[in-house]
Amino acid sequence: MAATDRDSFTLVITGAPYASQAPQTALAFARAALEAGHRIDRVFLYGEGVHLASALSTPPSDETHWPREWASFLQAQEIPGIACIASALRRGLVDESEQRRYELSSHNLLSPFQIAGLGEWVEGRIKSTRTLYFHGGS
Amino acid sequence: MSTLIVIDQAPYGSWAGREALDMTFSLAAFDQEAALLFTGPGVNWLRKAQQASEIGQKTVEKNLAAAPVFGIEAIMADRSACARYGLSEASLIAGVALVDPGPDLYRQYDHTAFAG
Repeated sequence: MAATDRDSFTLVITGAPYASQAPQTALAFARAALEAGHRIDRVFLYGEGVHLASALSTPPSDETHWPREWASFLQAQEIPGIACIASALRRGLVDESEQRRYELSSHNLLSPFQIAGLGEWVEGRIKSTRTLYFHGGS
Repeated sequence: MSTLIVIDQAPYGSWAGREALDMTFSLAAFDQEAALLFTGPGVNWLRKAQQASEIGQKTVEKNLAAAPVFGIEAIMADRSACARYGLSEASLIAGVALVDPGPDLYRQYDHTAFAG
């Protein structure tokens, strides 16, 4: 099906960086969509995808730093990037308020990513003309 | 706007199926039409009387039994996948409809999402 003149997208990333190609493919798609005049409403990290929002990722310097690539893209384009709270807490990704709530030793959410519930995905489903999923595969 | 969530991975090996269930319940919680389709190895989620506590996990039998209460419209299982995994109707948990997935089924939904 051809895209309409101006689509708005919610992108859901469920594959982790360095374990899957999902974050890289999603970023290439997002850049191409913007270039073609479409809009990205939000990016929702779910399941393993939440690892993309870790401020502690430290790949070797000759590898692409996907969390930073994504963070700077979101910042520059003013697109909300949201990590699902249930997925994030399970996998050790927390912001300051969750650190306080669970009395954890630190927080590690990379700005401008935010932590919120699945309602953000539901809203994206309703508001965007298209919702696309970038899975890690198994 | 209706959404079909497809779970095509066996239970317990990863969290993807469990998290796809959460997505379905979340849609229902926000009054969005949602249905579940289990296919491929995913049909094993629907086997009766699983003892997941043996591996420190929880079964989803209770969650799925509550699905209609939460407003999830249908729990469907791929008939041929059930046959492949030796699942007769009697060995499935209650409330599951056997279907033959294909264009006719998918066309009934505005949006289809697979477990990650």
